[in-house]
Amino acid sequence: MRRIALPAAIVALVVLAALLLPVLLPWSHDAIDWDHVRAPARSPGHWLGTDELGRDRLARLAVASRITLLVALAAALVSMIVGIAWGMVAGWAGGRVDEAMMRIVDALYALPFMFIVIVLMVVFGRSILLVFVGIGLVEWLTMARIVRGQVMTLRHRPFVLAAQASGAPAGVILWRHILPNIAGVALAYLTLTLPGIIMIESFLSFLGLGVQEPLTSLGILVKEGADDMDVEPMGLLVPGGVMVTLLVCLTLIGERLRDRFA
Amino acid sequence: MSLYRLDAMSVAIGDRTLVRDVSLEIAPGECVALAGASGSGKSLTSLTPFGLSAGSITGSAMLEGQELAGLDEAGLRQLRRETVGFVFQQPLTALTPHRTAAQHLTESAMQAGGSRPDHAALVAMLDAVGLADPAIKLGRYPHQLSGGERQRLMIACAIAHGPKLLIADEPVSALDAYLRGEIMALLTRLRHERGMAMLLVSHDLASLEHHADRVLVMQDGEVVETGAAQAIARAPRHAYAQALWAATPSLKAPLPDDLPVPGAPLVEARGLTVRFAGSGLFARPVTAVDAVDLVLHAAEAVALIGGSGSGKSTIGRAIAGLGPVSAGTLRWKDAPLTARRSREQRRSIQPVFQDPVASLDPRWRVSDIIAEPLVHLRPDLTAWGRAGLVKKALQMVELDGALADRTPAGLSGGQAQRVAIARALVAEPELLVLDEATSALDPLVGAQIVALLKRLQREQGIAMLVITHDLALAAQFCHRAAVLDAGRIVESGPMAELIAAPRAAMTQRLVAAS
Repeated sequence: MRRIALPAAIVALVVLAALLLPVLLPWSHDAIDWDHVRAPARSPGHWLGTDELGRDRLARLAVASRITLLVALAAALVSMIVGIAWGMVAGWAGGRVDEAMMRIVDALYALPFMFIVIVLMVVFGRSILLVFVGIGLVEWLTMARIVRGQVMTLRHRPFVLAAQASGAPAGVILWRHILPNIAGVALAYLTLTLPGIIMIESFLSFLGLGVQEPLTSLGILVKEGADDMDVEPMGLLVPGGVMVTLLVCLTLIGERLRDRFA
Repeated sequence: MSLYRLDAMSVAIGDRTLVRDVSLEIAPGECVALAGASGSGKSLTSLTPFGLSAGSITGSAMLEGQELAGLDEAGLRQLRRETVGFVFQQPLTALTPHRTAAQHLTESAMQAGGSRPDHAALVAMLDAVGLADPAIKLGRYPHQLSGGERQRLMIACAIAHGPKLLIADEPVSALDAYLRGEIMALLTRLRHERGMAMLLVSHDLASLEHHADRVLVMQDGEVVETGAAQAIARAPRHAYAQALWAATPSLKAPLPDDLPVPGAPLVEARGLTVRFAGSGLFARPVTAVDAVDLVLHAAEAVALIGGSGSGKSTIGRAIAGLGPVSAGTLRWKDAPLTARRSREQRRSIQPVFQDPVASLDPRWRVSDIIAEPLVHLRPDLTAWGRAGLVKKALQMVELDGALADRTPAGLSGGQAQRVAIARALVAEPELLVLDEATSALDPLVGAQIVALLKRLQREQGIAMLVITHDLALAAQFCHRAAVLDAGRIVESGPMAELIAAPRAAMTQRLVAAS
């Protein structure tokens, strides 16, 4: 457990900063300080400086982290719920039902996901909801496969047979015997999907297809920073650094949880 | 002149000493056996000197005049590669699943620096361990071999590099009585032919008399009795050795004459057939159970005896409503017994499984585990009523009420099996389906469970379907037995007749081996 402590503390710190900073700072993420446009880092009143529109970079960073984490968490939860439900039903039912359900998963896997999201964006216009839909569409697939495999090994275990012999209906067995015994694995995998989702969201935003201005996300900040990194390298390095730190820490937590439970 | 010699050797893991002051000596061609219940330290004693356990040794362990205590990993590896061979209990897990028999053998033969064996040499190796059709078996993967064949392959691997000492850690515990005898005879023959010394770890005490020269009986990490195998088998002196011997079921013991009188028919199977879809593209379905007829009366105990893969567990599952039925009929009293069962039918038939730990949900408390059948089968009860019945069931299986709040991780194997029996009993069934209910337990604990079952049989008049590979065990409390081979009943009848005058070849082999 000790090996989880450090990355968990760093993630907690980022989350705390993302929640508190926008309240504490005098600037909101879209307020323009006309007197200090393109202020360099560590100038008075603007710790990280301002961007080319005079918006406080620190406030924008905090809000961007918020949005990125929120999108990741919501999409991961949705994918977990759908994935667990799908995998449990397929693994328990077995036979043809299982065949059909897993072929649907395979088919969805085969779709070039980025392409679909981009088409969706072009057709329906950019919205944060579509980002959710697009990410949710892929992320539950792996969860469903993992859960199905777990259920298939559990369902022939004697304690499940004993529950059947004591007349427990399938729903009760799934809820009270199977789910608690796959919760550890599912949780570990959930933590591992978070970095993946953050990457997808950031990539979409970097392409200009994700979160829309004036809202912002880490991907947007990285893109803006990359646009004028020759003038103000901190504009790229700071949001990029926060993103990398989050990805590394979440991956470490996920892998260590996985070693523990799976 | 001894080949292998332990002198006051102790094994410690961390700062806990688990084996104390074991001394033994093995000459070439000799077999010394370590016997004892599980947890007595016999595996640690045999494996730790060669660096194959988490422990470390103090004292002295000499192999061919070389001291093993304090030897570094490279030295130990060289010994394991050249001088010692190992046979383990679970041949399926000890073999690598994606490698064929030929690949396993080639690797083993070359591990001591020998040249690559050609096809003829590989065939000869399998032939030496008595594997039929060795040329065909060479291309097989472990899962395509039967349990006995796998164990033979593992022995062939263990001796391929010509070791001087063979360590056999419960080599036959996972096999049925007949195969046990065969594999033990094979080990003895190889030992004599090659002048190999053998250290045998076993709790199959009955076979030691014929296959070991000397026996060390271990209890709680200490040797409590040591002597010639025949002397110990005939007249053990130490109380623990006596208990261990007495707990080993044997056909030499008289059959019980106080079994309850059977009543009206409970379960009737007619032409029961179970088929499973085969694997592979052109596979035909596998017939696991083939037209089996079986009648079980109230208060009667019937044994289903057969080796692994004989279909005995499949029959038990079909009767308990936990497995498929492809053809034939099942009746419970006067009503048909189908996959959709009434609450009353479910309540009446309850199973107990082989692995007591796996049959309890690791996340539930003991009291909830036992109460589970009541929740579904007795909806008329209140929480209070359930608690009362759970308490009664705990008493019935002689468990302390204080265990009710523990989770399965806090139970010993014997306690866990008692909890599983309590769960089966709590809804007051008329038939228990016992699927190898004692074979995962060590002999002392197994004997206690058998005593408990006998008491339940006498006091509650519960009928039992006893699924086992152990004829001697079944003889202790069963009225009748049916012997299965490849899904068919080859012989059935009263226990005494079956043992006194076995007709089918399978039964004769089982009686001879028990």
